[in-house]
Amino acid sequence: MDGSEVKGEVFTEAKDIINQLAVIIRTAAIHDPGNIAVTTAIDKFIALTNPLILSERELALELGREFFYLNEIRIRYSLEYLPKFDFLVLEFRKRGLGSIVFRDALKSEDMQSFLRAFTASASSPEPFELLAEELTDVGSLGVGKLRKIRDEEKTEGGSAVRRMVKKSYFNAVSYTRGVISKIKSDEKVNIKKAKRVVESMVDLILEEEQLLLGMTSIKDYDEYTYHHSVNVSILSVALAQRLGLSKRALIELGLVALFHDIGKIDIPSEVLNKSTSFTDDEWNLVKKHPKWGVRAILKMRGIDATAVRAAIVAFEHHMYYDFSGYPKIKEPMELDFYSKIISLADQYDAMTSARVYSRIPMPPDRALSLMMERAGTQLDPILFKFFINMIGVFPVGTLVMLDTRELGLVYQSDTVFLDRPKVLVIINSKGERGEGYIVELSEKAPDGKFLRSIVKTMDPNKYRINLAEYLR
Amino acid sequence: MELLDDIKAAREVVQALLKAKKTFRMYPETNPMYAKTIEDTHAKFRNFFDYRDELTFKIKQNELFCDSEQIYYNPEKEDNIALFFFKDALREITFKKGFSVKELEDFLKILTVDYDREVLDDDVVTLLWERDFQNVKYVVDEAFLTEDEDYESEAVREVKDKASDGDELTKAYEDSFTEEGVKDISIVPLTDKDLHAVVKEIEKDAQDKTGKLVAIIFEMLYQAENKSEYEDAAHFLNSIIEFSIRHGDLDTALKILRKAREVSGIPLIADEAKKSLNMVFSFLGYDAAIKLIGELLDSGVEINEKVWDEYVAFLDKNAIEPFITILGELKSIPARKNVINALISLGRKDIQALAKGLYDSRWYVVRNIIYILGKVGDKAAADYLLKTVNHSDIRVRKEGIKALGELGVPGVFPALRECFNDPEVQIRTAAARALGNIRSTTAKSIILQRMTDAAFVKTEFSEKKEFYEVLSKWKDNDVVEFLMKTLRKKAFFKRALNDENRACAAYCLGLMGNKDALPLLHKAKESKNKLLREYVYSAIKRIDYGR
Repeated sequence: MDGSEVKGEVFTEAKDIINQLAVIIRTAAIHDPGNIAVTTAIDKFIALTNPLILSERELALELGREFFYLNEIRIRYSLEYLPKFDFLVLEFRKRGLGSIVFRDALKSEDMQSFLRAFTASASSPEPFELLAEELTDVGSLGVGKLRKIRDEEKTEGGSAVRRMVKKSYFNAVSYTRGVISKIKSDEKVNIKKAKRVVESMVDLILEEEQLLLGMTSIKDYDEYTYHHSVNVSILSVALAQRLGLSKRALIELGLVALFHDIGKIDIPSEVLNKSTSFTDDEWNLVKKHPKWGVRAILKMRGIDATAVRAAIVAFEHHMYYDFSGYPKIKEPMELDFYSKIISLADQYDAMTSARVYSRIPMPPDRALSLMMERAGTQLDPILFKFFINMIGVFPVGTLVMLDTRELGLVYQSDTVFLDRPKVLVIINSKGERGEGYIVELSEKAPDGKFLRSIVKTMDPNKYRINLAEYLR
Repeated sequence: MELLDDIKAAREVVQALLKAKKTFRMYPETNPMYAKTIEDTHAKFRNFFDYRDELTFKIKQNELFCDSEQIYYNPEKEDNIALFFFKDALREITFKKGFSVKELEDFLKILTVDYDREVLDDDVVTLLWERDFQNVKYVVDEAFLTEDEDYESEAVREVKDKASDGDELTKAYEDSFTEEGVKDISIVPLTDKDLHAVVKEIEKDAQDKTGKLVAIIFEMLYQAENKSEYEDAAHFLNSIIEFSIRHGDLDTALKILRKAREVSGIPLIADEAKKSLNMVFSFLGYDAAIKLIGELLDSGVEINEKVWDEYVAFLDKNAIEPFITILGELKSIPARKNVINALISLGRKDIQALAKGLYDSRWYVVRNIIYILGKVGDKAAADYLLKTVNHSDIRVRKEGIKALGELGVPGVFPALRECFNDPEVQIRTAAARALGNIRSTTAKSIILQRMTDAAFVKTEFSEKKEFYEVLSKWKDNDVVEFLMKTLRKKAFFKRALNDENRACAAYCLGLMGNKDALPLLHKAKESKNKLLREYVYSAIKRIDYGR
């Protein structure tokens, strides 16, 4: 076996390294690091890491936003690893720990020293500093500080990433518009290109989830239908990647979500774009779009695995978890997994957008609150839990007043502290408008109290606040 | 010079990739050439990595560059590896030093996919993306995905136009002091039970979804409001059947058909729905559907006999003609056997349609149709089969004669008698065997008539033997008497030919196990004719020991 084979294999097992590190830290919280229970776990950890340190010279485990990276390669993991990963993210962030670098051959004693320092730092007002100091003499281990979002944003790379996210988002919307126009005029649709568009979104969700989710929170674009399709696709893929779906499945889901409302092309535009509420007849017409969606997809694609999934979702996305929605069916069936995911994304995006249902867009937190009431009836309760974990209690775009009398927009959710997002302050505590600055609500004062908390949420639409201007 | 050496090594990698692309298309994975190609190509990569840690190809339409050196150029469209990458917007590809043998194999597989097939929705970039190589990185021109260059700026401008001025923001700030406090959204943590439930759901989700779509199409049929919607539902069901057959899944097709039959039988179901379901049943017999069935049968996929029989039972007589067409095209014996069985079953519904196959230009198809007509067992088939005894191909004539024998209706006798005058011995003996199958008195008398003809004695021994063997099927006195008489018969002239006849009679008595013939047989044992002695000896042995 050559060196490359070793590297490939160990990287494949990177999730096991994270898993084992979580095991060690948890065990060390109960026992002394010298206890056999801990040392056995350490030995297993060393057995996993040392071959990689040997071939790579150095092994850097880094926390970047919500993900771990091993020598700059993001570690992917399936759902069963989620609790351990979340635990480790939390423990790192509690201490402001951004990275651990392992050098040379790792020894059990070094790991024991690390665990002692790690446990002690939890109760320190300056945990990272304590940890770094304690590890000064441990040659094979080094630690790095967690980078703050505002630091990242200031960099040129940060704004380049934002530009890229924005470009991908608009590519997707413009592609969707093109596809719908082609379907309307019976032209052939290039699915290879659709896949590429979705791949680009999936990549961004894997790397820059919060930025792309931020794009979905901007609801004031004229062409609602196309933006809605893309938003539902993004929200669905983001949710599904948390559920541990494979990349291939994420593409399929993203594509399927993009076409979930395709049946609406058969609803007359004067009905679809009506500025007043629907009459009963119009409602009945709108309720036909799921079956028209099946028709449009199957006529466009014929039958293949993706078309089958897309047709199923087009038919079911308004049926609801308890089948109280539409269309009503004669013979019982189980709701498709994708339909449940897309139904959640669809409801959330529709509720927080103008021109659907009651035509009054809801602030994101209110929409979430309403969806919580529907969890278990209209919505799958377990998937909803994942959804709220993804989007946060105060989703991106929520207008919030802080207890510091600062007014701001939720800029990025925090997947660990769900009710403590990052906020872009647009009016400071003195009531002055300025350039805007980002604050992290998970930040604490030396006395352990949070520096800022949300006290009120408001409707950004009521004040016609251009989210695009702030969140781009 | 190191620079020149590494460029040379990069060029060799490209050449190795081109060669491997061809080899991968020619040889299966089990072929030693396949493994050798991987090893040879990987050696070229290793050679390059001796100079540098990363190999980057910059891709232009007809060229590949390493650094600024052109290392590949091909102005043709065919087998142009640069164009192959370029057309899918790949602009740069980098292989890192850790590029493993397994990664190379997967990369070569991606290179050799037939991207022109319509059913394939993936391009090179999608496959590279899905494979998620650890040591292959690439750069794609995202402009490929941009449908409308100005879309982004227009959309952003529209939003800006709608935005508020600063006053509204200030108002929001003022209002915030009077708004009610945050509505509590309790954070419910994910439990292990939740995770298990989702894992289980993901596992379940891997199952085939076609059945689910079928259920939906039936719901659409129930909810259809006009002719076009009914027709759409039928069309979709047909497409799913087609899709299932194409994927070797007759079970799903059968589920649709069973459901269609069940729904058709519901008394309150709309007539339009019944009509559209009839369209589904008719579809099964269309050329396209039968052609697909042919491909499935020939693919080597094992098809359960019960499943096949049930599927055939749903077919209507319109399937006969297309089945005859594919019968001559199928390559495997089990496939032809299945089609023949289907035609035997369908032929009973329309023997006329089946008989049309007798005019097929392919002799082997005609022979199969004759066999099928024989198995259908309908007396009406005789009229069609009678014509086949004059077919230009002897193999067809033989099969026709055999089938006539199996039918055994009176109308076949003149034709079979006529066959005795055929110049081909195979036809004459086939006619004899056919008459033997009929085993009627008329058949016997036709045979005896032929055997008592003065010319019969002059026929070849093997033909005579065949006739006597056929005669052994009638174990009555007429036959025994005829045989004893033949065995006793002495001749002064053409004695050898007469002895051949006697030997055949002995052989026939032996086959019949006639003990009354033993004294005569023992007497004939002393004959000077060796052939006669041998046959008599065998006959005695057979009668005495039953073998």
